Amino acid sequence: MGTTASQLGKDSLAEYQELTFLTKQEILLAHKRFTELLHKDHKGDPHARVPMDRVLTLPELKSNPFRKRICHVFSTSEQKDGSLTFEDFLDLLSAFSDSATLEIKSHYAFRIFDFDDDGTLDSGDLEKLVNCLTGDTDDTRLTTEEMRQLISNILEESDIDKDGTVNLSEFQHVISRSPDFVSSFKIVL
Amino acid sequence: MVFVTCKDTVTGRACCVVLCTTEEQNLVKELVGLSTRDRIRAIRGLSMSFKEKKHIRLVLSHYVSLIIKQYNTNNQVLIQWSCFKLFSQSFRRCGYSIKSARQTLKLWQSIMKEIGGRFGTSVLSYFVFLKWLLMFNIFSFLVNFGFITIPLLVYDPSPNIPPNVSFTGLEMLTGAGYFTYTIMYYGGYSNETLVGLVKYDMKLAYFFTIAVYMVLCGIALIFSMASSFKKNYVLADPTSNSAWQLLSSWDFSITNERAVRQRKNNLRVQIQESLSDKAQRQLLTLSEKLKHLGVYLGFWLLSTSLVVGCGVSIYYLYAANWSLLQEAETLLVPFVVSLMNLVVPLLYSLFNKFEHYSSHRRQIYALVVRNILLKMSILAVLCYYWMNVVAKKFSCWESVVGQALYRLVIVDFLFLMLGSFFGEFLSNVIGTRLIPRLGVPEFDVARNVLELIYAQSLAWIGIYFSPLLPAIQILKLFILFYLKKVSLTQNCQPPRRTARAAQMQTIFIALLFFPFFVGSLSIVAYTAWRLTPSEQCGPFRGLNSTFSVVGVWMDDLHEIPGSQWVIWIYENIIKSEIFYFLMTLIIIDTYIAIENKPFMNCG
Repeated sequence: MGTTASQLGKDSLAEYQELTFLTKQEILLAHKRFTELLHKDHKGDPHARVPMDRVLTLPELKSNPFRKRICHVFSTSEQKDGSLTFEDFLDLLSAFSDSATLEIKSHYAFRIFDFDDDGTLDSGDLEKLVNCLTGDTDDTRLTTEEMRQLISNILEESDIDKDGTVNLSEFQHVISRSPDFVSSFKIVL
Repeated sequence: MVFVTCKDTVTGRACCVVLCTTEEQNLVKELVGLSTRDRIRAIRGLSMSFKEKKHIRLVLSHYVSLIIKQYNTNNQVLIQWSCFKLFSQSFRRCGYSIKSARQTLKLWQSIMKEIGGRFGTSVLSYFVFLKWLLMFNIFSFLVNFGFITIPLLVYDPSPNIPPNVSFTGLEMLTGAGYFTYTIMYYGGYSNETLVGLVKYDMKLAYFFTIAVYMVLCGIALIFSMASSFKKNYVLADPTSNSAWQLLSSWDFSITNERAVRQRKNNLRVQIQESLSDKAQRQLLTLSEKLKHLGVYLGFWLLSTSLVVGCGVSIYYLYAANWSLLQEAETLLVPFVVSLMNLVVPLLYSLFNKFEHYSSHRRQIYALVVRNILLKMSILAVLCYYWMNVVAKKFSCWESVVGQALYRLVIVDFLFLMLGSFFGEFLSNVIGTRLIPRLGVPEFDVARNVLELIYAQSLAWIGIYFSPLLPAIQILKLFILFYLKKVSLTQNCQPPRRTARAAQMQTIFIALLFFPFFVGSLSIVAYTAWRLTPSEQCGPFRGLNSTFSVVGVWMDDLHEIPGSQWVIWIYENIIKSEIFYFLMTLIIIDTYIAIENKPFMNCG
């Protein structure tokens, strides 16, 4: 089997350290966990992709309400199927790491919350977001009236140009006033 | 499309790099002007996929080397520049390895992940804080043991204990008796210059070890405070029920299925509460406001008088203390102190229920301030008694103070265990069986962290009087971790409200530093500066004050050639007031520099 350090070349390791917010330990651990997810035929291939349903078996993502969105946002596959290469996986861990900046975290949070991928958060996105966070079954959902009230409160608070949607800079502005965001937006292997 | 051709300096081959879009060109132009460190930080902060970042980095490195070559046709300059680049690169790699070395201490990592996954970040912050304090104590123990105790043990392995004293089990609790003559306390250390492989001056070793440790602690605390402040302090919105704050504070590190479901329920309840609050906003009438104000003032007066009462009673208990012949009686004062530390905060929590606060945050702040006042005044009274009465009454007074601190630490530990039992286990039993309305208790992070801070300040004060006290503290923190973990998982539920974990963390570090560390440092400094060391025991016997060892050393150094620079430093820097002024300026400057690190906004 060999040690994981020997499978990651020293140059690649140095490059990963420079381009992500992860430390050497975190990168090696990520490599170990990622190779466990790979199909045994692909174990030597540095550009191998892991399908989304295998990624979602990771205990850190299994119960996360945004797990599918996270995979879609960080995936670079052309088929948009949410599969991740090792570099996508490192991107994911880097954005969710302790040392990532507020800008990176808020940028990716915006993309995760943007369920229809159109670059803005409109009422449909906001409704899906609230349902994701409060429960999707019939008895745990908010009533239609409460939902409408909540969405209008959200838009009143953050929609500065009053176009009915929240764009990236409005989102980043409102998130920067939220003191718990940086410490909650964290996933550590 | 723009093509940039350059020649590879090593192989001489021409390589072609393509800049595809104008956005990328603009980005590269912005990044080229930065220093290497800022450039790396900027690229890392780009919100692009890994492949794109690699591409930008490659383009930039070719672009930069092209520019350098255009402006530096002189080979000498090019070689110097390459050397400088290599040096700064190895410096950076060193920085990375330091960062990852800090993570190798894998103590408790899996347990903390389990706790974070089930209870969330705010409860986890208590355990992270505990682990951080443990590091301080491990470092302190290693330093003290290595520089002070080991030389003494090597030179004189058997302690000189008078013949009629033998080891009974009670010493573990009281710290007196057999332990008084051992290396546990100040009195067990000699003041000689040990001659072995090298000449080792015990006085200087004792003084400098403790001084350097305190200074390093202070620096570490200032840096943690600065970086935590920068990361977490945000001008918080006054409307704490804002919808975005509720939605954006979803804790991504929770991995337990049940905990996730509970969080979703709590969030739904909070959202519904905030919606109904907005619908019917209560306006208080003037008489109601006056009534609330009266209630606040009344309870503040009550808390302050409780604090004053505690302080006075401890002083009189100590002063009226009976001869210390019977060792068991000496446990009375620590017992009373710890009892007050246990009962009075519970009383404060009770007061909280009768007061009406406009926000949850103000409630926590009021509780924290009252608890701090209590603990600080208890410590102040004890230190006042030790410095003014004990120092004049006993012959080997530092050991007496060391023993008193040992007893306080041990009894405090026993009471923490009791507090866990009463605080969490009984609350759970009451909440589930007796009064179901109360429900399962939540883990009170603020109260527990304050208890840790108090315990740590006892250890800091005690380092001067009992160099091996950190060993006891290490054991205490170690056991406490497992105790709290078991108590948490068996008795508590995850917190219902998102309690501003990040800001509380900053506040706790600031509290650790500001009243408690600075207070402990001032007590130790006052002892070293003003109080006369005892005549018969310890490393500083016979001197006017502890600090005069440095003066004596300076006098000795006059005879040794080649050490003029040390004397110069002492005369012109340490003794002058300008030095301290400059130090304060440097500290403030570093603080501001950490806060204002340049940030590039891309994309």
